[in-house]
Amino acid sequence: MTPTLLGRWQTRILLYIFIGLPVTFLFALYQSAWQWPPLYTQSIFYYPFLFLTLILVLGLLLDVVYIQIQRFHWDQDWPFAYQFFFSILEFFAVFYLMDYGILDYVYPLFPDGYIPFKAAACHFSFVFVPSFLALLGAIQIFMIRWRFKGGEFGRHAIR
Amino acid sequence: MPIEISWLRTGKASGAPDDKRILDGPGPFRIGRSADGEIVLDHPQISRLHAEIFVDGQTVRIADKESQNGTVLAGRKLTSPAVWEPQHEVKIGPFALRIRWTERPPAGRNARDVDATAIAANAGRERPDTPPITPAASPVSPSPAGRAAASGGGRGSFPGQLFDQRIVPMRELQASGKLAAEVNFVAVGGGIGSFCWADHLRIYGVPANDIRVIGVADDKRPYAKWGRLCRNSQIPDTERIRSNSISAPDNIWGFPGYASREMVRDLLQGRLAGLKHVLQVFGEPALTESYTPRTIDVYRSFDVEAKRIGWDDMWIYGQVVGLRKTDDERYVIAYRIPSSHAPDTTPDQRERFIVARYAQLATGYPASNFLPDLQVFRQSHPNSTAVVNAYEPHDEIYRVLEQKGGTILIRGRGIVASRVIQRVWEARDKNKDIRLLHLVRSQIGAGHKYDLSRRALRNDVEQQPFNWPKSCWGGTLRDRLERASPEERPKLLASWGGTTTADRDDWNKIIEEGTKDGWYKIFYGKVASIADKGGKMVTRLESSDRHHENVDLAADFIVDCTGLVARVDETPLLADLIKTYDLPRNKAAGDGAELRLAGLAVNTAFEVTGLQNGRGHVWAAGVVTANGPYAAVDSFLGLQYAALRSADHLSLLGAQHVSRFGPLRSSTQWVKWCLGRAP
Repeated sequence: MTPTLLGRWQTRILLYIFIGLPVTFLFALYQSAWQWPPLYTQSIFYYPFLFLTLILVLGLLLDVVYIQIQRFHWDQDWPFAYQFFFSILEFFAVFYLMDYGILDYVYPLFPDGYIPFKAAACHFSFVFVPSFLALLGAIQIFMIRWRFKGGEFGRHAIR
Repeated sequence: MPIEISWLRTGKASGAPDDKRILDGPGPFRIGRSADGEIVLDHPQISRLHAEIFVDGQTVRIADKESQNGTVLAGRKLTSPAVWEPQHEVKIGPFALRIRWTERPPAGRNARDVDATAIAANAGRERPDTPPITPAASPVSPSPAGRAAASGGGRGSFPGQLFDQRIVPMRELQASGKLAAEVNFVAVGGGIGSFCWADHLRIYGVPANDIRVIGVADDKRPYAKWGRLCRNSQIPDTERIRSNSISAPDNIWGFPGYASREMVRDLLQGRLAGLKHVLQVFGEPALTESYTPRTIDVYRSFDVEAKRIGWDDMWIYGQVVGLRKTDDERYVIAYRIPSSHAPDTTPDQRERFIVARYAQLATGYPASNFLPDLQVFRQSHPNSTAVVNAYEPHDEIYRVLEQKGGTILIRGRGIVASRVIQRVWEARDKNKDIRLLHLVRSQIGAGHKYDLSRRALRNDVEQQPFNWPKSCWGGTLRDRLERASPEERPKLLASWGGTTTADRDDWNKIIEEGTKDGWYKIFYGKVASIADKGGKMVTRLESSDRHHENVDLAADFIVDCTGLVARVDETPLLADLIKTYDLPRNKAAGDGAELRLAGLAVNTAFEVTGLQNGRGHVWAAGVVTANGPYAAVDSFLGLQYAALRSADHLSLLGAQHVSRFGPLRSSTQWVKWCLGRAP
């Protein structure tokens, strides 16, 4: 991949909306034992949404760092392997920040600071795997200009 | 230009021809036992009318006339008319025939004013996956006759005075009686650039009967000429080309790419190694060597897509001699059909006009490059086969090396040089008595630097996976160049481009092994002269800091691997357009030899804005737009990008049948592609 900063941001938000949110909804519903409306709204149903959103926010910030790293590559590219590795890194970063209670100061929703790792990892995998496959080619099926715009949407401007 | 045909009985001890004839005109010239023919070969193995020769501009074709014993061109038995290159021999019965131009066209005179530095820079632009599509028939040099024709006057008067006008009245065109068709879209070139444009238009919604593609290639296949240059430059069908998985000209989405298709094919055949291709894409270029597709797979994918979009129905075999604006906001394109493709017609009947609202110019490289000193040698030794350009057919050299051994001198250090070195290494399997002298102009201290990075250097060649940094196709560098001013662009391009080769492990090993074993040796220096001394080609180097006394390099063969000519004004059609409509050119990095890279000025949608004619528009693609807003114009993906930008522009202009191509149409069309259904 050869993303631009704007392309990174737009693609990240696109994947969050079209893959992250629907998958998380199903996952949260499953955790609430497929009850609607969910029984334990705060801790069980909303929790995965928050977790995912925190990863999104951290990712948007890290994208600024990633784009700087690209400048050290002659090709100014971002290999799929890097994408894979750093996505998982982002997951662990958010997981441990929450687990150690650091995010409690930021967002007092998790007073106990405890997160079940297994559930978080499952949730993340369900979102990550289809998102990664989308990057590998599925997005291009719908948006042929995406690959020529470093991941940005829309048509090219004529100059 | 007249051609001379000479022949001799094979198996004769002396090499002197038995006889020769000079033939002038388009033909057809008959070869056979019959005394009526132009060339009479009296032997029981020869049929009465055995074969026919046609001459069109710089192209000589030969057709077998259903003879008893067949006609063999370059070792292959003819089943249909084929182009007869001067390097090839035709075998008819016991006779071997050769042709040559009696007034040899100055081989690539365009390069004479180019110094060696510039040539070296040019070599980086040349790659096996460059799409050389040219209406000029000869790969070596543009034809003076064709040039005259393009200016409106040569070879008869077609298109004559009509094209002396900047704007041609439709009334006069209709009165000419030569108006063959009126459509919305015409592609000029007929190669891969035209193919990508037609492919996009078809998928965006344009019916095939509203598109025409005019080209002079060896045949209808869009990759005909590119494939020929690949084979000449020693890339056999099974070799991999320097191109990426998603650079798939048969698939406008770039998905699935060549890597996943190859993996699926391998796995279906029970080869687990197929997984390797996708792992390469996963790790490239940082962790693994970049994936590159096999030539044969690229050819096949073209064939499938060409059939799907109705390519053959859009194709017209013709030499485009001019393009003019019309008085009804359209364009008229004048072309001439070679006699070989329209038998039983008069020359007058083969001159046609076609009128279109929109046109695309993708005429490709006009010629192959020849280093100035080698040109001088070739002009004084027109019959020598020991000095060749890597893009000319020269298989014979390797065959002789394999049989007899010898020394080969390679000029240039780009991708073609790498492949030719590999070919010599392969020849050494059959004969260990082969030595390779590699001559380059100077030593490179360190790779180019741009931003925070430096290009890798190994074995004295700069290495990168493709001919431009990857993000030139669609990433940060594409964006950077598009936003840059025309003056800034050549500077950026100079720092990203230049002579490079692919970072292939096998190529690096060959050089390292060869250096260790002593059969490979690299030399640096400028050439003072080349001379034929008793069959040895002796290259004398100018004295320099490195060696004060003259150094002589003796070799049996010299292969020039410095590339193809990119000058737009070497293509008669474009030279005429530039002159007639005062078309601006892109800026060059200097006002000397660098000018050769100054292509037609286009905007970021690849429109040749100077040719706009009211509602009519013309786009360009490929190397003819060099030094413009996009770097990688002469690559598969670059041609697709140009086509995409043009198709989006057409949609914006409200062109008939051209959709906006949003997500819904894109995905349904993709499903059709997967199912192999017409768009």
